[in-house]
Amino acid sequence: MIAQLTERPVGRVYATVRDRLGRTPYWSRVVVSLVAIGVAVIFWNDDYVTAVAVSVATYAMLGLGLNIVVGYAGLLDLGYAAFFAIGAYTSALLMTQAHWNFFTTLPFAVLFTGTAGAILGYPTLRLRSDYLAIVTLGFGEMTRITFNNWEYAGGPNGVLGIPWPNFFGYELNTQADFFIVGLFLLAIAMIFAEHLDHSRLGRGWVAIREDEFAAESVGVPSLRLKLFAYVMGGMWGGLAGAFFATRIGAIDPTSFTFQLSVLILIVIVLGGTGSLPGVLLGALVVVALPELLRELSDVRLLVFAILLVGMMLLRPQGLWPRIRRKPKPFYGLQEEEPEDVAARILREHQVQMEERDRRHAAAGHKVPAAGEILLEVDGLVQQFGGLRAVDNVSFSVRRGEIFSIIGPNGGGKTTLFNCITGVQRPKRGRVLFDGRSIVGLRPHVIVSRGIGRTFQGIRLFKNMAVFENVMVGLYPRHRTMTWQAMLHTPGERKDELRTLQESRRWLSFVGLESMAGQLASQLSYADQRRVEIARALAAHPHLVLFDEPAAGMNPTEKLELVGIIRKIRDLGITVVLIEHDMSLVMRVSGRIAVLDHGILIALGKPAEIQNDPAVIEAYLGREDDDMGRLTAQEA
Amino acid sequence: MALLEVRDLHVYYGNIEALKGISLSANPGQIVAILGGNGAGKTTTLRTISGLLRPRSGSVMCAGKSLVGVDAHVIVGMGVSHVPEGRRIFNILNVEENLNLGGYLIRAQHQLIKERKAAVFGLFPRLAERRGQLAGTLSGGEQQMLAIGRALMSDPKVLMLDEPSLGLAPMLAKSVLKTVREIADRGAAVLLVEQNARQALAIADHAYVIEVGRIVLEGNAAVLAKDERVQKAYLGGFESVGSA
Amino acid sequence: MGDFLQYTVIGLTVGSFYALVALGYTIVYGIIRLINFAQGDLSMVGAFLGWTLLVSFGFEHLPIYLALVIAFVVPMIGTAVVNLGILQFAYKPLLRRSLLAILITALGMSLLLQNSAELIWGAAIEAYPPNLLPSSGFFVGPVHVTYVQIALVVASLLLMGGLVAFIQGTTIGTAMRALAVDHDAARLMGINVDAVIRIAFVLGAMLAAASGVMLGIYYVQIHFTMGFLLGLRAFTAAVLGGIGNIPGAMAGGMLIGLLEAYTTGYLSGTWEDVVVFGVLITVLIVKPTGLFGERVAERM
Repeated sequence: MIAQLTERPVGRVYATVRDRLGRTPYWSRVVVSLVAIGVAVIFWNDDYVTAVAVSVATYAMLGLGLNIVVGYAGLLDLGYAAFFAIGAYTSALLMTQAHWNFFTTLPFAVLFTGTAGAILGYPTLRLRSDYLAIVTLGFGEMTRITFNNWEYAGGPNGVLGIPWPNFFGYELNTQADFFIVGLFLLAIAMIFAEHLDHSRLGRGWVAIREDEFAAESVGVPSLRLKLFAYVMGGMWGGLAGAFFATRIGAIDPTSFTFQLSVLILIVIVLGGTGSLPGVLLGALVVVALPELLRELSDVRLLVFAILLVGMMLLRPQGLWPRIRRKPKPFYGLQEEEPEDVAARILREHQVQMEERDRRHAAAGHKVPAAGEILLEVDGLVQQFGGLRAVDNVSFSVRRGEIFSIIGPNGGGKTTLFNCITGVQRPKRGRVLFDGRSIVGLRPHVIVSRGIGRTFQGIRLFKNMAVFENVMVGLYPRHRTMTWQAMLHTPGERKDELRTLQESRRWLSFVGLESMAGQLASQLSYADQRRVEIARALAAHPHLVLFDEPAAGMNPTEKLELVGIIRKIRDLGITVVLIEHDMSLVMRVSGRIAVLDHGILIALGKPAEIQNDPAVIEAYLGREDDDMGRLTAQEA
Repeated sequence: MALLEVRDLHVYYGNIEALKGISLSANPGQIVAILGGNGAGKTTTLRTISGLLRPRSGSVMCAGKSLVGVDAHVIVGMGVSHVPEGRRIFNILNVEENLNLGGYLIRAQHQLIKERKAAVFGLFPRLAERRGQLAGTLSGGEQQMLAIGRALMSDPKVLMLDEPSLGLAPMLAKSVLKTVREIADRGAAVLLVEQNARQALAIADHAYVIEVGRIVLEGNAAVLAKDERVQKAYLGGFESVGSA
Repeated sequence: MGDFLQYTVIGLTVGSFYALVALGYTIVYGIIRLINFAQGDLSMVGAFLGWTLLVSFGFEHLPIYLALVIAFVVPMIGTAVVNLGILQFAYKPLLRRSLLAILITALGMSLLLQNSAELIWGAAIEAYPPNLLPSSGFFVGPVHVTYVQIALVVASLLLMGGLVAFIQGTTIGTAMRALAVDHDAARLMGINVDAVIRIAFVLGAMLAAASGVMLGIYYVQIHFTMGFLLGLRAFTAAVLGGIGNIPGAMAGGMLIGLLEAYTTGYLSGTWEDVVVFGVLITVLIVKPTGLFGERVAERM
């Protein structure tokens, strides 16, 4: 609210204009602007300018591809030139050796580089990100050296005499021809990239970049998505490579050095990682700046190095950053009355639950009715070194109840949650959900089985808008495929709209609809907690695990939280709570389990727990701990 | 004025107010217990005094000098030692190396280091037996001894202990706390954060009960030990939903 | 067999250079989890500083021992100053920001050093005085060993020994190891963490500079891009040995040196980097903690 009020009117007008513009289809904007640029350059009618423009287009294509890997998924790729090389060589060899037409080689260039991305990506996905950077660097160098040593591909001399592209009998051989082809390919690359950006895939990537652990825990299959990022990034590089090969007419390994990989990285860092117009701007700077500063060509890279470090220190978001904040995220959606929203959520949730129960029953499993056991933890043991964090804990949670887990610090509560949600694999014991074991499943699979969670320290995707956070939570429920997302098909559009609508409902459920367009990091602590709850609910879980939801809240906020928790239960969702605020726990819980030193020391109704000597002892120490009042004299 | 004097401390994590005006004091030879449920702000209080966190406002004075805004490593030199929660010993170093690091600020005075080490070994003979052993391979109790011994190497005027009995068997916890009493009796002011309120109150002279960043009870330890409100602070408190 | 031993001698010589640079990576990474991409380029800077002293300033005509002392000590100090500047100016403001930002900055610093060197010393290949040390040698059975090789390996071993003595034997060295475990706990011991990080950067730069001068003496030719591959191979060595692990980095350096010598000897020089990177990728995938285990600080 405050942020909106303090925004200057100029900024607001600008934002509104941008918002309006943002509602025309993206492809139309790309086509209009690229046609405008094309017409301008062609009317300029200067071969030199046209040639520079072709280079800008090539770098922009490369930048778009690298942007998927680095900008969205947050994986630093220092060997991106390898994809450019593989695309160029594939196309060049097919044209010179097999005498194919340029346009027919394109799919193969893209296919090969995509495959190369998968080959690089698959084994390296689990590496930590700094090692990954070095591995990609090594991959880039290996690729270049391999081409250098490969006789069939001409060794150090490369492939010569690559023919001009032939377009239905018309040979494209002037700079202007290439410029048109380049713009055409760039337009395709941009439209696809933008569609991906606004699909569940794009949101999933950014979520991984922001917090991979949290992304996985709300249902995003992080490994698969990282692999996808490599494959997609590779494909864009392949497209640019093929175009480069036919345009230059001769390629050799020196065109694909580490330096090129760094230049492409500079393109996206300058423009702003994750920003599509930023990529165009970055490509323009990287290509045109050296042309403008001819006399400084010796220090070209020095200037870029200074730019790179300077950008990181002073303007890490880039020159034309991607703005994820949105003044009116739900513009154009059908308005709904608040009572209506609650009813719709309930109806939708019941539909989802029934659907799930039906599938579950059809697969031959027993569906627990309300009051029957939903989650069963049996003899769970988790050990770190010599310390038993969870020691032979057994309990069960019944469908529809609010179940709390309390206990002193270091009691093993969060470890227990981590074992249930697949973050850790317990040493021993069983965890049954809906009658099926979930031990050993990856966290995102457990989410899709119907368990949602929040975290002790809030783990939102800080640089995404609030509504996007909730939409990430809806990831497991999308039914569209990647190709549909790239083409932005009507089916995908409907799916997106439905997701947006649902994220709005969930936000209104926790009372945050008015904040939907802000960045998650701008919200107050209590509101961030509520966004986390909405994100966990968005996938329509059977069971939610809340880890200290009231921590840091003031009494009013706690009271609201109690209301939300009860509303969740009323939807039919089972709630398991770790919480330190005892009055809150005593108020909402049906039953309470107490963990101390990893051992379950009590389980029962709130009143029983409050008067249980073992519990009092765990919290306060034993009666005989008075040790006869040690005094200074005694000791 | 007391040796350690904390006045109206306000500490924030981002925009969350974790401490809402904590004031306390401690004198040489005294054990001052800080009690309260999880998330009450006990650890935050200690971390602020030792300089790991910066308060937004309020003052911390030790022997007449302000500790606010002073770097943590300098504060150690001013006579305040902090044994953090979870012990945080250097597990890839051996026992002796851990102790040497405790005496980092007097590292040039080999004789003094030797004397202090001897004193620590006198207090914890078990550590002397294991001086060459990697700290990570010690038992939980021994690790706690090492953490305390390491803090004593700088011969602190104020020793702050964050849950020294956490994760220890009851007998061991008792013996650790007895040693804490001994350390205080030798003249240090001890600030003791404990989950186990009864044990803490048994050895402490004075105690504060913190809840949600505020001190809700304060007084003589022996008196507080009989106060039912202490129990309430742990199992359903003063300032919470119930009373809101 | 003779070939094999000959390659082994070459491999150990080159490996000791890699080990020195790898130590720089490992010390810095162990403490602040930063891949200082500029490490290899610091080596290049050291090589050029040494060259400037020996050739441009004519110190090569001084008595050999004096010339060597100057050619090692001054570049080591100069490079340490450069690395401190990098730490203070570029890394320090970013240490609490995202990993991506730090990595990109480190890469930028590497480029900056390379291109500054090009600006200062030019793009041409420069040559160390070819006969600074006697180029003769002797035979052990079929294996030819030169005095240069012996001198350089001994010098590297002395430097490494000095480093190990410092890290294992002094309280500041102990503090450096402690930083790999827990920064806050170290602060509570009275350790000035920033100062210890600076010491690590100084040590890393000095080792890199020494290896640069050695490379100059051994290969004679130096070029402003020489740091790139050197850095990559040394990083591979550090990872191979388990990053943060000091004996591991030394062993890793030797292993990479040997691997390179055997590849060049038995296969072809054009494949050596493919083999080295292949090893790097394989190690990272199969055993990312290296052959000897890693010792690394939690990300702050």
